Amino acid sequence: MRFDQIWFRYARRAPWTLQAVDATVQPGETVVILGRNGAGKSTLLQLAAGVLQPSKGALRERPPVIGWVPERFPADQPFTAGQYLSRMAAVRGLRGGAEVHSWVERLLLTEHVHTRLADLSKGTAQKVGLAQALLVPPGLLVLDEPWEGLDAVARTLIPGIVAEVTAAGGIVLVSDHRGEIAGLTSATRWLIADGEVRPAADGAAGSEVVVEVAVARDEAEAAVARLRAEGHRVLRVREADSEGLPR
Amino acid sequence: MIALVRMRLAGFVRSGRALAPIILALVVLGVIYGGGPSTAAAAFGYSAVMLFPVLAWQTKLVLDAEPDGQRRLARLAVGARREAAAGVLTAAVLGLAFCLVAMLAPWPFHAICRPGSGQASCVTGEPSLVTGVGLGVVAHLLALAGALGLGALASRAVTRTVRNGLVVLVVGAVLAIVLGLRGSIAPWLVPPVMATARALTADPLPGGTKFVLLTLWALAWCAVALGGYGWLRRRRS
Repeated sequence: MRFDQIWFRYARRAPWTLQAVDATVQPGETVVILGRNGAGKSTLLQLAAGVLQPSKGALRERPPVIGWVPERFPADQPFTAGQYLSRMAAVRGLRGGAEVHSWVERLLLTEHVHTRLADLSKGTAQKVGLAQALLVPPGLLVLDEPWEGLDAVARTLIPGIVAEVTAAGGIVLVSDHRGEIAGLTSATRWLIADGEVRPAADGAAGSEVVVEVAVARDEAEAAVARLRAEGHRVLRVREADSEGLPR
Repeated sequence: MIALVRMRLAGFVRSGRALAPIILALVVLGVIYGGGPSTAAAAFGYSAVMLFPVLAWQTKLVLDAEPDGQRRLARLAVGARREAAAGVLTAAVLGLAFCLVAMLAPWPFHAICRPGSGQASCVTGEPSLVTGVGLGVVAHLLALAGALGLGALASRAVTRTVRNGLVVLVVGAVLAIVLGLRGSIAPWLVPPVMATARALTADPLPGGTKFVLLTLWALAWCAVALGGYGWLRRRRS
């Protein structure tokens, strides 16, 4: 799949959100999209999925079956989780409930099957969104911050699902400001900054140095998120006095 | 695509959004049929005109019922063209049900009289009750065709904001009446709802050619409006 000189902006006179994106993704590849809030990660993912159309340029050789997990699952619908997945399976051309049943079990949704979508927690709704994207094995799986709201058990399922899709020759694009999947050795990392997409530091031995930074305790979480969004690997967070803080 | 139509029908009915246009339509029909009996062609001619804006509003409600995110998921699942077509088809199915209710509404109230029954309001050029009912069916279908086009152009996926959608819907409905008046400078700009009503209340009723031309006019207008909707939806998911 190839991003061929893609430019995008949301309105005719708006500034460009993405400029001259030129990149190729091979079958079986996982690409992690990094960047600050508002950098254009979701925009790039929606362009890849075909939800948005480029203002200029084109996306070529996109696989025909696309699974898209939006950042916020559209839960304002008058269906239960089970009804919704069954109807989406029918829309996808599936008959019988085997696929729905399989993903409901695997994503630990069994006890929520009869719960209305609007009454689901954010994390459970996100799992329903993930299930609908996987009903038919996707050639392109687009995950927009898939970990948001998920509990620890559910979070561990995603790398396995990603690995299955890529093992079958599929492409996975995932945005991740928490650094959940960036550590995968096989994942390619792209960094979006100033509307441009470029490869992030690959972390290969010898190409990195370790920079120790002291931050105020109440700003630590935000600083970690910011550094990860910029494509840096945060190795650990420690107390300042545990190994001493040089003046 | 049929599965998507079923999903949208179920979602629209369960959401309760169908109630508002139904209540408005019942009020409109109550006003039309509360004033005494008339011949079928005349009664259904007025009914089709009055229901046109309600049908257009219902079309917009159907197309706007899904959250934007779900509409985009459906687009990825079935393709852009089928997703757009499924929305219009859903609105058409509900519109047909609406028209059926409108066609049945006058009978329990004895608001339709046979030509030549002796009542003053039933002295018209309508040759028979069957002809009048048949022309009434045509009038409602032509109104539905126009309403589908207008409602689709007013949908959120095209207009992007509630305000713009309401402006398109209200201005379109008003223009359909104003530009449809006798002596209008540009009657062809709007669907022929007023022209059809005039034809159905004429004495004597015009010949079959007139209704063929009205049908072609309505279908052409609907095709242009829905073509515009499809063209705009190419880039507006």
